[in-house]
Amino acid sequence: MFKEFAKGLSITFKHLLPGHSTTVQYPTVKLKPSERFRGLHRLVPSQDREKCVACYLCPTVCPAKCITVESAENEKGEKYPKVYKIDMLRCIFCGYCVEACPVEAIEMTAEYELANYNREDFEFTKQRLLK
Amino acid sequence: MVNLTIDGKQISVSKAATIYEAAQEAGIHIPVLCYAKKLLPYGACRVCLVEIEQMKGRLIPSCTTPVSEGMVVTTTSEEIKKVRKTVMEFLLVNHVLDCPVCDKGGECDLQDLAYELDSTSNRFEGEKFDLPTDEVNPLIERNMNRCVLCGKCVRVCDEIVGYGSYSFINRGFETKIATAYDRGLNCEFCGQCLSMCPVGALLPRPFKFKARPWQLKEVDSVCGYCGNGCTVTLGVLGDRVETIRFNDKIGVNDGNLCIRGRFGYSYVNDQERLTKPLVRKDGVLVETDWDEALQVVSDGLLKAQGGQGVGFLSGARLTNEEFYLLKQFAKTVGTENVDHSGGECYKGVTEGLKQTLGVAASTATFPQIDKADVILAIRSDFYETHPVVGMVVNQAIRRNDAKLLIVADKKGKLNKLPGAKTLLSKPGLELDVLNAMAKVILDEGLAQTEGVEGVAEFQASLANFTPEKVAARSGVDAEALQAAARQLASAKQGVVLLAYGLPYQGLNKELATAAANLAILTGIPGREGGGLYLCGEKSNSQGAIDLGILPQNGGLGAQAMLAGASNGKLDALYVVSEDPLSSYPDRDKVAQALEKVPFLVVQDIFLSPTAQLADVVLPAVSFAEKDGTFTNAERRIQRVRPGIPSPGEARSDGAIFSALAGKLGNNLSFTSAAAIFTEIGKDVPAYAAIGFNELGAHGKVWGGETLSPASRKLVAVGGGTTVEGEFQLVVGSALYHSGTVSTKAKGPLAVLSEAYAELGREDAKDLNVAEGDLLKISGNGAEIKLKAKVDNRLPKGVVFVPYHFADAEVNRLYKGEPAVSVKISK
Ligand code: SF4
Ligand code: SF4
Ligand code: SF4
Ligand code: FES
Repeated sequence: MFKEFAKGLSITFKHLLPGHSTTVQYPTVKLKPSERFRGLHRLVPSQDREKCVACYLCPTVCPAKCITVESAENEKGEKYPKVYKIDMLRCIFCGYCVEACPVEAIEMTAEYELANYNREDFEFTKQRLLK
Repeated sequence: MVNLTIDGKQISVSKAATIYEAAQEAGIHIPVLCYAKKLLPYGACRVCLVEIEQMKGRLIPSCTTPVSEGMVVTTTSEEIKKVRKTVMEFLLVNHVLDCPVCDKGGECDLQDLAYELDSTSNRFEGEKFDLPTDEVNPLIERNMNRCVLCGKCVRVCDEIVGYGSYSFINRGFETKIATAYDRGLNCEFCGQCLSMCPVGALLPRPFKFKARPWQLKEVDSVCGYCGNGCTVTLGVLGDRVETIRFNDKIGVNDGNLCIRGRFGYSYVNDQERLTKPLVRKDGVLVETDWDEALQVVSDGLLKAQGGQGVGFLSGARLTNEEFYLLKQFAKTVGTENVDHSGGECYKGVTEGLKQTLGVAASTATFPQIDKADVILAIRSDFYETHPVVGMVVNQAIRRNDAKLLIVADKKGKLNKLPGAKTLLSKPGLELDVLNAMAKVILDEGLAQTEGVEGVAEFQASLANFTPEKVAARSGVDAEALQAAARQLASAKQGVVLLAYGLPYQGLNKELATAAANLAILTGIPGREGGGLYLCGEKSNSQGAIDLGILPQNGGLGAQAMLAGASNGKLDALYVVSEDPLSSYPDRDKVAQALEKVPFLVVQDIFLSPTAQLADVVLPAVSFAEKDGTFTNAERRIQRVRPGIPSPGEARSDGAIFSALAGKLGNNLSFTSAAAIFTEIGKDVPAYAAIGFNELGAHGKVWGGETLSPASRKLVAVGGGTTVEGEFQLVVGSALYHSGTVSTKAKGPLAVLSEAYAELGREDAKDLNVAEGDLLKISGNGAEIKLKAKVDNRLPKGVVFVPYHFADAEVNRLYKGEPAVSVKISK
């Protein structure tokens, strides 16, 4: 029995040795999430505007109802989102919006550091999402 | 009846039905694209293909193929599905796939079909259309790249509207829908075409990119403009009415609307709406709260009632329930001085029809016009005031070969309908023409005189109305007049149409009486099918009459109230939902009354010119915020439902009357519109038989589809008079507007933004006037300036001016006469 104990502990001690830890020293060290990670949204820009055409599919599909779109006509007569915002406090990061978008105008980035001090700071407007 | 089998189901349908209709009746779904219930079968798209046992070997379009006895139809099979899918592929060869930016997305028939048929790819490749969109017209966005050539727009504009804006041009792949010479659209802007378009080729521009259809709350209500009482389904987003949705399931209008109904909604969202009560302090109107405003009003009214008395001037766009409360409130104040719509224009109904037929309403319903064989329209303006009834007239002509006769002083839309015969008389002499027609009918022994009173006296009174004499006076051709009379007398289902309203003040009683005489002589009133229609200009004109918003028991009428206010015989005027200064004839008289009266209360949704003179202004609400009922011009009582919250502190007219009555010690509070409606039944017997909750999809017509006249009495009416002078000015309604409210609505304004003086080409040439020139028009001691409009509608010597625009001050010239003698110079 003692033998088994020693064997077990040896594994434990092996993991205590440097180079065996999976914990990183956040925030000094940051992990790089996987490609498919669903973090903060990003609105994809095109040449002179956002790619989004304000089709209302993402606010419609969003199960948390956290996307607000208001469409309008720009000087060129194109449909564009006059207002586009996401209430990040309600978002459940399901990624349905990305899936629904017919023009690939919204994607999810690897950004996961979303903590903040004020409620208002969780409202991601078009300007913030375009960054 | 014909028996057939569809998908193994035995059904029997009328032999006029198509396979598609039969299937629908049996609850079997067949996909369609170019089919529309209200249009004739067309067969453009081939989506509705089915297989018929007896015609094996090819598929048959179900929407155009009539049923026949013993037919065995299969609507779904692998083969059929494959063919339908191929049809979809063809349709999508050059259709741009811009669903994300197309406003039709979400309610597009093509999208739905693609989904239903699971069309995800296309075996064919073709160039996508790249046609310019129509950016010229203000209301209808035409993007022909999305068109599927179903022809619905072409058909509806022709078959129903009778305008004929569109046609197919070019051949093969190049085929497209275009207007004459492929210019921008310039038409009635009724929007029927866009309501029919199954795809996003025709869309309402004011709603462009505003919302997706599924975001809208839909509220079924009744149009707040004219007496046609069309169902409008408000498309509400948040607290705004953003569009009017297509709805052919309920109401009398089959989904048809006119420009006012479809595009005239924006005023309800207007920033300028009154949101707080205003009270005049030191000469200026200042905002205040309701407590103070109501106190000032009740004090003022009590004081006035203790003095020379109070008068109530109402418009005709209140609900029946509000009319009831108004009446009770006036009683509480202690006055019988209650009247509506200027007190003159409706007299054709309350006096003309009353003295002949013993009723005060149209005798039949609109669907009966559809089946008529002869239609007599008095004044061509009928289409302009009641466009959607005009569309029914068009359908009667096109589908059932009805003959249209018009007695009018100018031409209009109606005259352009196929086969229309116009008796064009000098202004004011339509009456003589009607009398002459009656004479022809009587003299030629064509009259139906059984049970008719006063025939001999009436006939004797017509000595001066031989066709020849009338022809000489009025300019109508004597033979045409005789022919028209004979035609009307031969009608099996005759219809007589006459519209009334604020711009038609002269000879109302007389014209209605003459129309009733003619109707009686030709057996129209009380007979199934057809009838005599007197249609009010406003959404609840008939309700105002039914509810007795009239001077009764010795009360003063509107004109007497105005006179009384001017000469100190009345101490207060309470104006509800009306802008007399802008819309009543004789502006000077109205202005004097409003300025002289010691206490003036105006209850309205905008600070109208009348309201600017008031001592207290109470903010009321629009039709889109009201709960209750309207009674349309065919006596149909329909539900008005609130779609949006009222802006600020505005309150409904009914709520204001209740609150004020409460202040004066009469508890007029009711739990709901339904409760008031029940009360109305106690006062108005015709309404007693109808339950508020029974007002279903098509409302309820009081007095039955065919109202039996209480009497059939011919009453002699003298002739009209013409005015001397080179030019005769007639005022009236323009197609794009209704009353003064529509001048606050963006849609109608975009098409017609200001008043104009319309001249015939001949006169324009003589005066050397071109379209748009500024004209000075003087008469009746006043002069106004208006831009000229030149076209073919008016006979020589006649000038037409629409009355809707307050700033044109047309009522300085127009004092209520059928025509005004005017001088015109540049
Ligand atoms: S708006 Fe009315 S009149 Fe104009 S094209 Fe369309 S259907 Fe015809
Ligand atoms: S514009 Fe619309 S209604 Fe007209 S043919 Fe094209 S798809 Fe049909
Ligand atoms: S204004 Fe009259 S005709 Fe036009 S939509 Fe309204 S009720 Fe119908
Ligand atoms: S619906 Fe039958 S051919 Fe178009």
